[in-house]
Amino acid sequence: MFLTRSEYDRGVNTFSPEGRLFQVEYAIEAIKLGSTAIGICTSEGVVLAVEKRITSPLMEPTTIEKIVEVDKHIGCAVSGLMADSRTMIDRARVECQNHWFVYNENMSVESCAQGVSNLAIQFGDSDDDGAAMSRPFGVAILFAGIDEKGPQLYHMDPSGTFVQFDAKAIGSGSEGAQQSLQEVYHRSMTLEEATTAALTILKQVMEEKLNASNVEVMTMTPKDLFHMFPKEQVEEVIGKLT
Amino acid sequence: MFATENAYYPDYSTKPIQHSFSPYADNGGSVVAIAGDDFVVVGADTRLSAGFSIYTREQNKLFPLSNTTVLGCSGCWCDTLTLTRILKSRMQMYHQEHNKVMSTTACAQMLSTMLYYKRFFPYYISNILVGLDNEGKGCIYSYDPIGHCEKTTYRAGGSAGALLQPLLDNQIGQKNLTKVSAESITQEKALAILKDVFISAAERDIYTGDNVMINIITKDGIKEDNFELRKD
Repeated sequence: MFLTRSEYDRGVNTFSPEGRLFQVEYAIEAIKLGSTAIGICTSEGVVLAVEKRITSPLMEPTTIEKIVEVDKHIGCAVSGLMADSRTMIDRARVECQNHWFVYNENMSVESCAQGVSNLAIQFGDSDDDGAAMSRPFGVAILFAGIDEKGPQLYHMDPSGTFVQFDAKAIGSGSEGAQQSLQEVYHRSMTLEEATTAALTILKQVMEEKLNASNVEVMTMTPKDLFHMFPKEQVEEVIGKLT
Repeated sequence: MFATENAYYPDYSTKPIQHSFSPYADNGGSVVAIAGDDFVVVGADTRLSAGFSIYTREQNKLFPLSNTTVLGCSGCWCDTLTLTRILKSRMQMYHQEHNKVMSTTACAQMLSTMLYYKRFFPYYISNILVGLDNEGKGCIYSYDPIGHCEKTTYRAGGSAGALLQPLLDNQIGQKNLTKVSAESITQEKALAILKDVFISAAERDIYTGDNVMINIITKDGIKEDNFELRKD
């Protein structure tokens, strides 16, 4: 497989004879180097939990921001190249505000993902409105939101493909975490159970020891919408883990 | 000496005459809407005129945008044609992009932004958008030509708007009445008042007459009705 990649992995918009876009596939590989992020969607709301890699004790952990608010009713967890994610989050925010401005209603989570997807595939040398990037974005995003269909979780990869999930893990520990999610997930899960489950799984796949400063937790509920856990609340959840 | 200008014979003036093009026409027409708890009725006369001449006596000025939303337009007819065509395509694009039918409230906001985007060359239309809101209640949004939007429960607009609004204030808004009823308006009463005010408008306003096209919007869809007015 690697032998055939000689010529066709150069151009970002060149298909290989087998019909593959290698640069996009490499970008999908790139996010497997990123920190792990887990999202679980329940009937009560959505929870996102992300690991923060504290590479130095002199680093200020609060400056790593992997869960961000897009709108009051949509939050995102990102994994991969953080700088790329800024551009995509910015687009998501603009899309949501524009939708509110024109239609005076909250944008649906799916439409928000669609908007970001449109940006994600604008790489290469498209001639009309100019390419956004010379290469694919090296970011995977979990969209957690509440709209008229209730709590929803969407996953998007660097190819711009977005799919709705009940539970999804991205980043370096995603394979193991996804397996664990499949075992632990059930439809009647409460949000509290989901929060505990997300952190338990995160604890298993993380290399460093899990503590209140190297994880971020966010819940999205119909009542409180975007709620980022303060440090004390994270400690409280970690305290309950076995 | 030859006088180049004579106040008594302006036709013989040799001064250059400036002709100007006016992009707007006032084609008249009135729209009246009344909302209830679970319905909304909207009527528009079918006369299309310009000055003292009538273009047609059978021009429908109500535009159904969805199963729960209708727009009534009066004013410059060519602007109405363009605006409603753009609205129709925007409704379809929204449906395809977001996989749902645009709600009346969303449509109301969109119309406001669309009008404001032509702030310095406005659509010369008096718009009244009616429909059912997300709770199924009847709602009416009225606009000025540059997009100011007001949500109300009854409204008269167009050439007889100023004539009819005080009448509706009294008959539906129960303004200046000593005996005020707490009951909300029924569909029958709304229809009866709608027809009555159009009869009054046709008496006084030369731009209103011929017929009234009525749309009755309930959760079951849009029902059409027609009512004849005086034709002079």
